[in-house]
Amino acid sequence: MVMIDDYHRFVSLPVEVKNTVMTSHTDSASGFDLDASLDHLAHWLPSQGPIKDFIHHNTLHAFQHLSFHDGISVASKLFGARSYLPMADYQKLFQQGRITPAALDWSIAHNNDGDNSATLRQSLFIEDKHSHYPPLSLANHGIRSAWMSHLETDLNALVHPVLFRLLSNYLDQGISRWALPKNGERFWDCVLRLAQNSLLPLYPFHIAVIRPLLKLTPEQVIASCLQQMVGDEALYEQYLLEVLLSHPGWSGMVRIVETQPNALLARRLISLKEMLAVELLCELAFVHKRKGEQFLTVTQLPNLAKTPLLTGDVLTPKVPLKLKIWHEAMEWALHTELLAAITRPTPATPEKTSPQAQALFCIDDRECSLRRYLEAAHPSIETFGAAGFFGIDFLYQGLDDAYPVAQCPAVITPKHLVTEHDDQPPVAKKPQTEQLSKLHFNAHSLWRGWLYTQTLGLGYAVRMAWNVFNPTSQIPGVKTLSEVEAHSHLHLLRESDEPTSDGHLLGFSLTEMADKIGGLLRNIGLTHNFAPLVVVVAHGSSSVNNPHFAAYDCGACSGKPGAPNARAFAWMANHAGVREILRERGIDIPDSTQFVPALHNTSRDEISYFDQTDAESYQLSEFKSAMQHALQRNARERCRWFELGPQSHSNQEAHQHVLARSSSIFEPRPELNHSNNLYCIIGRRDLTRHLFMDRRAFLHSYHPDTDADGEILSKILSAVIPVCGGINLEYLFSRIDNSVYGAGTKLPHNVIGLLGVANGVEGDLRTGLPSQMIEVHEPSRLLIVIEQSRALIDNAISKIGGLKEWLDNDWIRLASCEPNHHGLFLYRKTGWEVIEIPNDLSVPSGKQSESIIVGKTTTIPVHQLTGGQA
Amino acid sequence: MNGLLIACQLLPLLGLLLIMTSNGSEKTITTISVWLSRAMGLSVASLLALWAVSGFPQYEYQWFTLYQQDDYSFPILFYLDKVGAAYLFCVWTIFAIIVKYCRVYLHREQGYKRFFQTIFGFVFGLNLIVLSGSIDMLFAGWEIVGISSFLLIAFYRHRPQPVRNALRAYTIYRFCDVGLLLGAWMSHLLFHESQHFSELASLFQNPEFEPSGYAALSLLSWLIILAASGKSAQFPFSFWLPRAMEGPTPSSAIFYGALSIHLGVFLLLRTLPIWSYQLLPRVMVFSIGLLTVIVASLSEKTQSNIKGQVAYASITQVGLMFIELSLGLESLVLLHFMGNAFLRCYQLLVSPSIVAHLLRVEGAVDSDFYVKTSHLEFLPISIRDSLPEVLQNTLYVFALQEGHLERLVRNILWEPLKRIGQTLNRINVWLKALVGLALIGLVAVVMATGNIDGNTYAAIPVSFCMVLVSLSAFSQKRSPFKVWNGVALSSSLAGIAVWLMNPQALNDVLLFLTGIIPAWLLGIWVLSRILKQDNFAENPFIYRAVAETHPGLSLLLFLSFLGLVGFPITPAFLGEDLLLSHASSHHPWFAAPITIAFVVNGIAIARVFLRLCMGRPSEVCN
Repeated sequence: MVMIDDYHRFVSLPVEVKNTVMTSHTDSASGFDLDASLDHLAHWLPSQGPIKDFIHHNTLHAFQHLSFHDGISVASKLFGARSYLPMADYQKLFQQGRITPAALDWSIAHNNDGDNSATLRQSLFIEDKHSHYPPLSLANHGIRSAWMSHLETDLNALVHPVLFRLLSNYLDQGISRWALPKNGERFWDCVLRLAQNSLLPLYPFHIAVIRPLLKLTPEQVIASCLQQMVGDEALYEQYLLEVLLSHPGWSGMVRIVETQPNALLARRLISLKEMLAVELLCELAFVHKRKGEQFLTVTQLPNLAKTPLLTGDVLTPKVPLKLKIWHEAMEWALHTELLAAITRPTPATPEKTSPQAQALFCIDDRECSLRRYLEAAHPSIETFGAAGFFGIDFLYQGLDDAYPVAQCPAVITPKHLVTEHDDQPPVAKKPQTEQLSKLHFNAHSLWRGWLYTQTLGLGYAVRMAWNVFNPTSQIPGVKTLSEVEAHSHLHLLRESDEPTSDGHLLGFSLTEMADKIGGLLRNIGLTHNFAPLVVVVAHGSSSVNNPHFAAYDCGACSGKPGAPNARAFAWMANHAGVREILRERGIDIPDSTQFVPALHNTSRDEISYFDQTDAESYQLSEFKSAMQHALQRNARERCRWFELGPQSHSNQEAHQHVLARSSSIFEPRPELNHSNNLYCIIGRRDLTRHLFMDRRAFLHSYHPDTDADGEILSKILSAVIPVCGGINLEYLFSRIDNSVYGAGTKLPHNVIGLLGVANGVEGDLRTGLPSQMIEVHEPSRLLIVIEQSRALIDNAISKIGGLKEWLDNDWIRLASCEPNHHGLFLYRKTGWEVIEIPNDLSVPSGKQSESIIVGKTTTIPVHQLTGGQA
Repeated sequence: MNGLLIACQLLPLLGLLLIMTSNGSEKTITTISVWLSRAMGLSVASLLALWAVSGFPQYEYQWFTLYQQDDYSFPILFYLDKVGAAYLFCVWTIFAIIVKYCRVYLHREQGYKRFFQTIFGFVFGLNLIVLSGSIDMLFAGWEIVGISSFLLIAFYRHRPQPVRNALRAYTIYRFCDVGLLLGAWMSHLLFHESQHFSELASLFQNPEFEPSGYAALSLLSWLIILAASGKSAQFPFSFWLPRAMEGPTPSSAIFYGALSIHLGVFLLLRTLPIWSYQLLPRVMVFSIGLLTVIVASLSEKTQSNIKGQVAYASITQVGLMFIELSLGLESLVLLHFMGNAFLRCYQLLVSPSIVAHLLRVEGAVDSDFYVKTSHLEFLPISIRDSLPEVLQNTLYVFALQEGHLERLVRNILWEPLKRIGQTLNRINVWLKALVGLALIGLVAVVMATGNIDGNTYAAIPVSFCMVLVSLSAFSQKRSPFKVWNGVALSSSLAGIAVWLMNPQALNDVLLFLTGIIPAWLLGIWVLSRILKQDNFAENPFIYRAVAETHPGLSLLLFLSFLGLVGFPITPAFLGEDLLLSHASSHHPWFAAPITIAFVVNGIAIARVFLRLCMGRPSEVCN
């Protein structure tokens, strides 16, 4: 250890080392600035954290400073990805009528710089099988690939297994029985320890040329390796980039751990620099082993000028015009479907009575249909939508949780900690490692393993057969989301202002609670006319055998079920002290109003109500039965996407099917999550209550009259843009190129170190969404429709800071629906543009949801519902 | 019972053919596979019931004789005893579960049809092994299982990594098949007609009468042990198994978790009388088991991915089975096999749950290990402090690199062959032509003289050339034509050598060549079609994705590949066996060159097939 820990000492006296390895280039203070270069390169790496908290984000966030089309073009030239769907797909949509001629004209008019638009329009229909292919890219055709094929050595095949083993064992969060790092040991020190202080050689670091390099710092190692392999400093940066992009998953993970060490539960100290030093050493070792002392450096390659260069025009966007036009036409056609429907006169609605119950849902597109059914089931139920953390950001530690997790969007860093407490004296828990039902997960000594295999192995035949042939039964020992300890409460009220050892405040003060509750109620415009019952419905999703489970939960809670937030919200809103403060601030919640927290399980279409002690009120039992009915209809609507699901008209059967899905170990699609998300509507429910939107809309409640200066709207936008925009763009890019931006098919995935998934044992980490989540997704950008005047929206946008980039560069479309006269305007960087809906565009209508969905297996345009409330 | 035996054997083949000829819709494939797995279940259950009712006999049934000439015969022979019954039961149970599982799991996956075809092929091979009555038939099943494993590892053929790992597994399989091929030949030699499994036991029961010489029997045992340890990923071949986990999870579960890894154990159970007769092979099985247990249980400790961990856990248990076998605990092994098969299959199927389980239920269990210093107090202080550290690092490096087995095998087996081949390829064309001419001259002279003794001596240079040609093909990376030609030439030289040694074998040689020549011609034609506008030598290392761009050509090339490697679809498979039995009954030395050529040819040609047919279509717009 001594000699490793003190490698810095060697750095101060590197005389003999320099003589051996830096013969030609002794000046280490050269023109190439490694740190600056790595900072520059790192922002192109995927920024997906460990899989336990899957947070949707724009896959191409690094290109957001460019316009959408320029951004994806540059990205494709770096990563070698596709940027659009194949031309034939768009042409087919046109033939099917989903892309309307009007939308195509709109798109041509918006993208044509003075060419003859008639010939352009004609050329769009020429068959073209190749233009959507990825361009020459640095990742696949750069200098490193050229060099490798010149050397006839596949460095990736040789180096990656070695590097990935070291990285995954170092970063591992608990799969391997023996952890590699000692307390606080850096990655580089770890590798050095194994390479220098072991009786067996660490392959390939034992090679003679490598050994002296191990005495240098990572920076010096990188410099020396680059100098020996690349030669010209001008190419260093590109070479490093290509090395990083040969395994983007691991590079990105290392960068995340480097910059956000708390992303891991067991902290690890690693940097890109250390990873690159190890990797370049490996490369150098293998090149030496294959080619000896004399080999051609990258700079000496014969056809260097022909390869794409970072210093050349790689970063200049080159947008394929025809595909761009088609893509925008598709998006516009889909967007127009909603815009046309909301401007059409609404069918006569029955006179408004005072609501019996109000339900507050998450903004999530999966709640869109449930709200529709709930309102249909009971006309005097009002529904609202807000980001699913309900404005309360905190760290939460449940009774059985090993560690606290953040219950708020990723952009917020919570300051408060909330813990769950048991009302009953704790029962001595059985030691978990000895539970027979979990035997197959646990580590055993060799002899115990032998004994168990001998004796209990046969039992697994029965268990396996049971699970496969009878999937509706619960997997024993796996808790479902809805099972919440009945006798627990959240510790919400703060008793002392003393922060915990981690610097968090334990709970909230009454004023803080009133701030949170009042803030949210104002956001959604619910400040008066409270119903006797307000149900706060969070959502989560239960699935089995699914490493991506976090991507199925609430996006506004950083990929967790939102139950703690709902419970906290209801508790706070029920608290007399909080209501008192709110009353002073002008929100008068009547004493008769009761807030009830609940959790909607989106995969099982089940709901559970929390913290119910008293006898059930009349409203609540009414609400429960309406909800039960709504859930079954919702399950049926979801089943239309499942080819293997029941195609009957029975709600019961459909519900049984979704239950089976969520607990089948062989079901890679417990639900289809946010597939086909497309719209986000910020406004009163009246705007959309009569619309069938095919579960494609994020719905946020907002009352245009209560927001005088756009303050409320700017708050909403700063949550909606990153959360909904992130979901939308992640789905879009994962769908457009599933092998580069997405994670590929789930089926061969192998869980690596609890960090992520990879293909096989020695593959790169896969980022993005697996193909099973996105295969039916129609990749279109999000359209946010705000029920507010343009001036106020402008006002609000001026307050959202950096998020304005999303709108200005067209990564999200935004439209204003002026209150009262329903005029429509599209936000452009250059100013608002009037949206004209063609008069001949008819908005389809249906009597009720079931009559619309029957027999449909693809996305359905927005319909008007003409009544027939069930 | 006979009918049921045949049904168990042929139903999977029927499934394979039905799926192959179906229209490829998921629904049809599902219907076929579900009904066939039911029918199989019915026949397996009734077979086992009948067998149980008749008192668990050691039942043998000869269907017909496929080929008969002189003292050589290849009967289609079935055999059922308790070992076979246990395996048959497991194969069916796991297969039925996997079929049901994959119905939903593979829904909408590209290659749905391909997947089901391959697992039916796999089960056909498995049943062939389990029910076979002689080593010859077992070998046929062994090859089928090998090829279907290879296809399933490379299931995601557009990515280079699965393809590389498929080749890695295939090379090990191929190498270890030598054991079985030679074993089959030796058992012909040693036991003549009595190579039926049913008669093996009785053969060894008479202590006065040794069935054959000590040396020959040892050699046969070693060959069998080699074949068994390759298939079961035992020392020193353990490294291929975790890397084979590239296909869809259920295929990894059925192949590498449950069934094919236990085939080595099955082979040893079947041939127990042969290798347990002497002490030395027993000690060998014991040491292989022990070494495997040590290496694999250590390697398991540092696997940071879940499938690798299950793989090493499984290898460890199979190592224990080897130990049990060497101690003669047959029934315990059977029980152990079934337990391990089901447990590992289940573990792999639910392996994606590990994240939710460890993080949500248990919290991270960031483990660590230390060498305890308390035991080392007798040591001087300076060593006491640094020695545990060094030992710990050493142990970790050993486990991390999985016992260095991969490099060990590569350095010992492949590197020397590759080096010889490369040297050969550098030799001047004219020199090669000269050698070829000399060889033809030699053969002509021999033919003219008709001297029997001379024939044998002429066969020596011919077979030497055969090996050289194979090695040259093995190291040939720039021209697929040269590889194909080399392999065909090497096979033909084998035929010539046999004919020189034994002129009566002309018919069998011709039979063998009727398999090889058409396969070769087909291959050359397909290659010329594929590489029409492509200069292969310019980019010899990219994957050309013919399977996706020209699926028809790729299938033809695959058939040609199977023909050339002597897969049991052409007469070449039978011919191979015949050649060996003819030639080496009088000249045992000949077994060595012909098997080297056999192994090396297979690998060379598989590599070309992968380079050409696998991969992602080059998506460059120019």
